[in-house]
Amino acid sequence: MSLLIATTLDDALAALAAGARPIAGGSDLVVGARHGKAPLPGSLVALDRIEQLRQVHEVGGAGAGGAGGGLVLGAGVTHHDIETHPVIAARFSGLADASALVGSPSTRNVGTIGGNVMNGSPAMDTGAPLMVLGATVELRSTTGSRTVAISELWTAPGRTIARADELCTAIHLPAPGPRSGSAYVRLEYRRAMEIAVVGAGASVTLDADGNIAAIAVALTAVAPTIISVSGLASLLGSSVADAAAAAGALASEQARPISDLRASDRYRRHCIGVMARRAVEAAARRASGETIAIPVNRTIGIGTAATSTAATSTAATGASS
Amino acid sequence: MSESIDRDLTLSVNSIAYPVSVATDRNLLSVLRGEIGLTGTKEGCDDCECGACMVLLDGQPVNSCSYLAAQAVGREITTIEGVMSGNELHPLQRNLLDEGGVQCGFCTPGMIMSATALLSRTPAPTDEEIRIGLSGNLCRCTGYAKIIAAVRRTAAEIHP
Amino acid sequence: MTVTEPHPTTDAPRPKQRFVRADGPDKVTGSGRYTADLSLTGVLAAKFRYAGISHGRITRVDVSAARAIPGVMCVITHQDVPDLRFGPFVQDRTLFAHDIVRFEGEIIAAVAATTAEIAQRAVDAIVVEFEPMPVVTDLEAALGSDAPLVHSGWEAYGSADVVVRDRNDASFSSIVKGDVAAAMATADTVVTSRYVADGCHAAPIEPRAVLAQWEGDKVTIWTSTQVPFDARAGVCETLELPANRVRIIVPHLGGGFGGKCGFHYEAHIAALARVAKRPVRLVFSRREEFLAPDRRREGMIIDITTGVRRDGTIVARSGWIAIDNGAYTADAGFFPQLAAMHVAGPYKIPNVQIEAHLVYTNHQPSGSVRAPTAPQACWALESHTDEVAKAVGMDPVAFRKLNAVDTGAEGPSGQTYDEIGLQRCIDAATSNAGYGQELPDDEAIGVAIGWWPSFSVPSGAYLKIDGDGSAQIITGAQECGTGAVMTLRQLAADELGMDPEDFQLVYQDTSVAPYDMGATGSQTLFNNGRAVVNAAGQVADQLRKLAAERLEASPEDIVLSNGQAFVAGTPATAVSIAELAGIAAGGELLIGHGSGQPPGPPPLVGSTCVGDLGMAAFVAPQFSCHAVRVKLDRDTGVARVIAVNTAHDSGTIINEIGAHGQVEGGVLMGIGQALTEGTTYDAEGKQRNAAMLEYKLQTCADAPPIHTHFVQIATPDAGPRGAKGLAEAPNVATAAAISNAIAKIVGRPVRQLPMTAERVWDALNDEAAS
Repeated sequence: MSLLIATTLDDALAALAAGARPIAGGSDLVVGARHGKAPLPGSLVALDRIEQLRQVHEVGGAGAGGAGGGLVLGAGVTHHDIETHPVIAARFSGLADASALVGSPSTRNVGTIGGNVMNGSPAMDTGAPLMVLGATVELRSTTGSRTVAISELWTAPGRTIARADELCTAIHLPAPGPRSGSAYVRLEYRRAMEIAVVGAGASVTLDADGNIAAIAVALTAVAPTIISVSGLASLLGSSVADAAAAAGALASEQARPISDLRASDRYRRHCIGVMARRAVEAAARRASGETIAIPVNRTIGIGTAATSTAATSTAATGASS
Repeated sequence: MSESIDRDLTLSVNSIAYPVSVATDRNLLSVLRGEIGLTGTKEGCDDCECGACMVLLDGQPVNSCSYLAAQAVGREITTIEGVMSGNELHPLQRNLLDEGGVQCGFCTPGMIMSATALLSRTPAPTDEEIRIGLSGNLCRCTGYAKIIAAVRRTAAEIHP
Repeated sequence: MTVTEPHPTTDAPRPKQRFVRADGPDKVTGSGRYTADLSLTGVLAAKFRYAGISHGRITRVDVSAARAIPGVMCVITHQDVPDLRFGPFVQDRTLFAHDIVRFEGEIIAAVAATTAEIAQRAVDAIVVEFEPMPVVTDLEAALGSDAPLVHSGWEAYGSADVVVRDRNDASFSSIVKGDVAAAMATADTVVTSRYVADGCHAAPIEPRAVLAQWEGDKVTIWTSTQVPFDARAGVCETLELPANRVRIIVPHLGGGFGGKCGFHYEAHIAALARVAKRPVRLVFSRREEFLAPDRRREGMIIDITTGVRRDGTIVARSGWIAIDNGAYTADAGFFPQLAAMHVAGPYKIPNVQIEAHLVYTNHQPSGSVRAPTAPQACWALESHTDEVAKAVGMDPVAFRKLNAVDTGAEGPSGQTYDEIGLQRCIDAATSNAGYGQELPDDEAIGVAIGWWPSFSVPSGAYLKIDGDGSAQIITGAQECGTGAVMTLRQLAADELGMDPEDFQLVYQDTSVAPYDMGATGSQTLFNNGRAVVNAAGQVADQLRKLAAERLEASPEDIVLSNGQAFVAGTPATAVSIAELAGIAAGGELLIGHGSGQPPGPPPLVGSTCVGDLGMAAFVAPQFSCHAVRVKLDRDTGVARVIAVNTAHDSGTIINEIGAHGQVEGGVLMGIGQALTEGTTYDAEGKQRNAAMLEYKLQTCADAPPIHTHFVQIATPDAGPRGAKGLAEAPNVATAAAISNAIAKIVGRPVRQLPMTAERVWDALNDEAAS
């Protein structure tokens, strides 16, 4: 096997054109090879030292009112970069929620957004928030580039529309409008080192009365790819509570989950409804201006930290029955 | 400049350059433990799930079981053997012993590497930040309580 | 985290000596070597060919292609080792499969090659063909008279005399006291419950490793075992070697929790090394660690019926228990009796009838994982106890206070207890937890009590002080991380008036030290502590004699303190122990040895036990109460433990920091067993979740604050200074307490362990269930 440590995008694209496979953090490929999923390809190109791919920058109207512009994320931006980026936390919160839940600090340190997206797992955490944020993906090769909506990227588990010589170089996120918020929540059995049993991303824009002006919901690990919930248009104008409940019901209805080690299909179907409802509720709270810490999973419901005050206060009560 | 690596490569581990000749599909862990002979870094799962193989790459935590050795060329690798300064234990090492955070010791090197990375990013972590910061390192012996205490105490010593 | 205020964590003052691990610097610097860190010139890599199926007759094994691969030095099968069956309770096992394989991790062949990759290629090149046989996985069905047999030749197997066997029932035990049928008829309320526990794993973070080297007719084996003398005995038995030609050395051991008890692969690797005429090393992958060893925690089915009077007094209990033995008996022969004791529980019950069966299946064999049978049986019993309390309208803690054993009471098997601290444990844990306070409706505090015996067995140690005054404890004891061996230094230091850090430990080497059972049964400090105290006492006597000569006094008047010897009352004219050691070095050397008489079993009155392996009477019984606060996400069934309060009677606590570490680790393991750790099997009896991602240990992010209170009762006929065991006891009651908290929130118990989110969610939706 040979490895090219690329420092320029052109070198990387040339290597891909010559048949190399890209490697960013490497965990998926290296672990996969060691567990006999697929042998490492004969030729690899390492992307982690291409500075251009590691940039995050805002584009367009970073103007008055603090509304801010859209975002371009280089494909080599890591989950750690995302979870700690103040602009992403503030305005693309659902994506920060997702990156902050990936694996552990070390996997977030090496794992990249491009790798996550192009790996095409239906259980990937960043997919649903990217979908509800309206992301587009830039694919480049030595012969040109194209931009595709993320909803059109995945075709099956582990499969994308990208050709072998195409590299995902960037992910574009349009500017969310005023009074918008997003969130990603997932069902997990531990508070870390997890893969989503199911997950849901939501983005919500509120009107002046605090009702729904725009809403999008996407679902993790309930279909062969990340899917987007349809039929939400009828919720425009409704209250957050009603929209959240309805989105949850639609999510359960539209999910096509499987039964596996992690959960049965009927439990997944039920829980995706809960996750979708909670994602909409959290997105709406953020849309109304509330700050909820990243990741929202650890501040609402099941992921709440076990605080030391729990023991202290109970100990102080000291009553025996 | 982009660099093509075939077989001969040089890795900088704890500020020492080690020339090695290995197939480029070898993971960093096996080269550290094998050719380079530093066995303080452990293998517990080969799957990024236990954290026993944690090392720092340019100061950031990496599961060396799932990282190609060749990809670490040109970066500074820090292992448990590089944590002491001279013959002095690092405060984390000392506090882990004083607090009783070491039992079987197999997770300890990886735990120390993750804690080092945590404290460099977050010098005064809350307990929740410590819990999340160490969440990629499984320990079966201690219930984590005394490890958390050792990290808390180290943070307080370094940034009182 | 341990909250130490406002409640004292212990009934006794802290010991004055700070605990410093002798192995601490090795472990925090990475310089300490574990077995997989070792190598030898010319070492070969070993790999095993496993059955890969759960039950089948081998119709063909062809290793010729494997042997032809360049770099392969040898391939061995059952033909290359003595033809014999072994096993501590039932001799049902062979090193390599002969005709039939009975679980997926059974070894058919072993390969030694110049690299691990070549060895694996060779393993893959071995041709094995099977004729499939019916797979036995259902415990109840397996006990049926028409069930397919896992061992068709079971009657011909040798076994320990007291083991009662019948077909797939590898070991049967019962406890009978009084007349259960008659007493049940007098009860005002009778409650019957069934609970089913999945198997789970010890999952130490270090996967096991073995390195063997022959020199002449002697073999040295470095291995990650908890029980070096047991490992030696296994090698000697299976390879037909005398004990003095087999040396077992354990480098640092990366955790065990029972998973590394027993004799595993030492003989396979020694056999490979003998054939290859080269040193051979085996290092397990995590997947092998899940699939192959005969030491996972056993699945169980538990039926319990309790008859109780209107006032809450228990009048009778009956029980039926089926324990998944897996394909071979390993050390599980005593599990039925131990499980029966745990289903009886630490309660005053005049009429008891409990039957327990150890059932052969085509699963991975079970073995002693930290408090074998206890967490599951306690979970079932204590969940049932809350059901009984509810049925009679009593608070579950008040119910336990009324019925739990106390000093002077008679337990369920007819043992009468000396001073014990169970009632005080209940008071302390519930009080510290704030039991009875108002909580949000998605939270509850569950309470459970548990018990566990101390194991009284022979154990030996030497102690010497060299001419410069530095000392060594040479012990057969094995350190698996608990700190029990490390604590021996404190005991020796106290006897000799020296500092614990004056002692180096020489341990984990069967050719150097006297026998000890190993890091098993929480027995190290209990038994080896006694041996070290005796050995140190002998040296102390010698020192007193030497000092008496020097100081012209009587030896009885000499005090050893702070590294000095002086006549009582006149510390100013002291002679240093180092100086005395220098004198001794020119004459009678300072050497002590100890083996200490283990305490005998307590008497039982009024009960009869079939299949009695000595577990119906508990030597120096340990008690515990855990009060666990749980928060439940009602929408998803995900439960989280948010605070744990424990109280333990393990007798005198000698090493407080180590003791807290044992409880905290045991509790977290208990939380895992309760919520996320369980082996799932496919229809063919193969494990589906043999990986850390799918077999979920609790992470640091999940760890709740754990507060521990030690009820310290100096127990006669116990270990040194009245200490009992401790390492296993903290693992007993946690899952049970969590179950009771969940049941309070849900309104009914979750009857399967682990109580996964989906199972809790099912219970939430199961309005029809009780």
